[in-house]
Amino acid sequence: MTTRRSFLCSPRRSLCALLLYGFAGIAGSAFAADRVIVLDSAEAQLTLIDQATHKVVDTLPTGKEPHHLMITPDHESLIVANSVSNSLMFIDPRTGQLQRRMEGVDDPYQLGFSPDHRWFVTAALRLNRVDIYRYDGHNMTVAKRIPIGKTPSHLDFSSDGKTVFVTLQDSGELAAIDLATQTIAWRMPVGNAPAGLWMTPGDQYLLVGMTGEDDVAVVDWRKRQVVKRIPTGRGAHNFRSLDDGRHVAASNRVSNTISIIDYIDLTKTRDITGLLPGPDDMELTADRKFLWVTFRFARHVGVIDMNTYTLVDTIRVGRSPHGIYFSNRAPVLGPNPD
Amino acid sequence: MINEAINALEDGIASLQTLLYVDAVQPLLYRLGLMGYDEDTYDALYWVIVGVLQIVVMYVVLRPLEAWFPAESWQDRKATRVDVLYTWIAKLGVFNVTFFFLLQPGFDRLQSLMAIHSVPDIQFDGLWPGVTDGPLVSFLIYLVALDFAGYWYHRWQHRFGVWWELHAVHHSQRQMSLWTDDRNHVLDTMIQAAFFAALSLFIGVEPGQYVVLVAVGNLLQSVQHVNARVRFGRVLERVLVSPSFHRRHHAIGYGHEGTRYGCNFGVLLPWWDMLFKTASWNSAQEPTGIRDQLPPPQGRSRDYGDGWWHQQAAAIARISRRLFPAR
Repeated sequence: MTTRRSFLCSPRRSLCALLLYGFAGIAGSAFAADRVIVLDSAEAQLTLIDQATHKVVDTLPTGKEPHHLMITPDHESLIVANSVSNSLMFIDPRTGQLQRRMEGVDDPYQLGFSPDHRWFVTAALRLNRVDIYRYDGHNMTVAKRIPIGKTPSHLDFSSDGKTVFVTLQDSGELAAIDLATQTIAWRMPVGNAPAGLWMTPGDQYLLVGMTGEDDVAVVDWRKRQVVKRIPTGRGAHNFRSLDDGRHVAASNRVSNTISIIDYIDLTKTRDITGLLPGPDDMELTADRKFLWVTFRFARHVGVIDMNTYTLVDTIRVGRSPHGIYFSNRAPVLGPNPD
Repeated sequence: MINEAINALEDGIASLQTLLYVDAVQPLLYRLGLMGYDEDTYDALYWVIVGVLQIVVMYVVLRPLEAWFPAESWQDRKATRVDVLYTWIAKLGVFNVTFFFLLQPGFDRLQSLMAIHSVPDIQFDGLWPGVTDGPLVSFLIYLVALDFAGYWYHRWQHRFGVWWELHAVHHSQRQMSLWTDDRNHVLDTMIQAAFFAALSLFIGVEPGQYVVLVAVGNLLQSVQHVNARVRFGRVLERVLVSPSFHRRHHAIGYGHEGTRYGCNFGVLLPWWDMLFKTASWNSAQEPTGIRDQLPPPQGRSRDYGDGWWHQQAAAIARISRRLFPAR
């Protein structure tokens, strides 16, 4: 099934939507938990999809180039990072409605909270910088802006909240920043166009999606060594833990596949094929039955049945869909922003 | 119905974009180790396709109008042929987009330094969050802002002698047609592209929106040069620059006289001509071109060149003579 979006007349004001919102007010989160939020990065908007029917129910304006999103530690807000508008939007994670805005956050391409919730970190991909903010549970205040290598793109943290790791896409490096002192602890080469980062349980290894290669690099970050490369597919990009105690999914943006990686054996167990071009960010339903994925180069979101590992539905969204979120998701293993 | 047609068109462009990207461009980027440009290249491809479509639409819609309702009757269209080449170069946005991306790192660095030193930056669309940053509203704000700059840019093209010699390449077309808009000296095109890219970055236009602004501007300006009797009516011609309004600007002795006199400088909106008292609403047909192209006694049969190279070189020669006059 493919859901079409009206170009001139957004369905946001339709009678149906109004009735549904009215009902949402009465039924509260029982209803509202059904919204899938997708960031259409090239259209300055987010698309809201009904998770049960897979129908687009609304599109809402964002700032320019919203790429990534992140739930706040209290789960009350979803932060949409408008990278070119230099702003953050706090929206209701269940309905997508705007709660508040925060201006003056420079080029927030990727974002994340440290596991101890003391720090909020943004990767300014365009500006070659990582900015560290102090977080007081509501507001962020700049602690330090750190010029770093070329195009910092993805972030992950050590469980103790002391270190943030960042991939430097065009420098081909992985960097570690000490959060207490806000200084670069080290940088190490990892290969061509490193992107997504995922920390294995126990903080043993960092998995790095190598978008310019066909593998996931396994980094022993304490020794600063690439200890293994797991062949996945060309354009390995981002990760989503599968909440089964053993596996993590990795999207391959050139091969157009998703690889399932056994993070204990550090091997690939299978590929999900038959996808649309440019699989990017992923989100897993709470029952672990369906993996939702944005297809960056096909203006669609896909739904994958995780029993049969097949694509069972595609939904038309806006241009360059990137970040995706829904509130009744499976727990994210590890402090992995997505 | 309209929605469905636009959706179908959007789908068609998107499918073509995906097909070209996945099967041709992305494998090349991967092989060349340029995957850092993955997303930007994919997004840019959309606008290249839109540029090609624009030329097709221009030709399909405007060419029949020129055949059926010509403003001027010509023996043949030979003189318009070179303008087709100019159009292909310009309509694909090659110069504009190149400059935008070339200048972007410098502006990003400037923005970063401004943030580090707590200097506020300018983002027109951020003036009223929730209103001015909506896609349509911000698009219109930037369109008006850039058009205002365009009006003054155009006045300066006529005001300063050296610049006029470059702009004369555009005005030397005496058979003004749908292809004429992009007939410009390559230096003029580059100065213009750099000027508008820099201004757009300064006031906060995002890359995707910039390409749309360029595309919309290009299309409207092609309409302005069409050799057809297209009337906008009293109201619309005061909102948008009409073909007769712009044809007046090209009229020898009425619309301009080299650097000495000019009217109707507006690029897309005639508002600035009205505001600064340079508007002429007289729609009488007059020959277009530059006075010294005319045979004596009105002119001196000056040759501005036939082909692309000739026109480009002749402009440089005129500039040299202006800068270093023979004693």
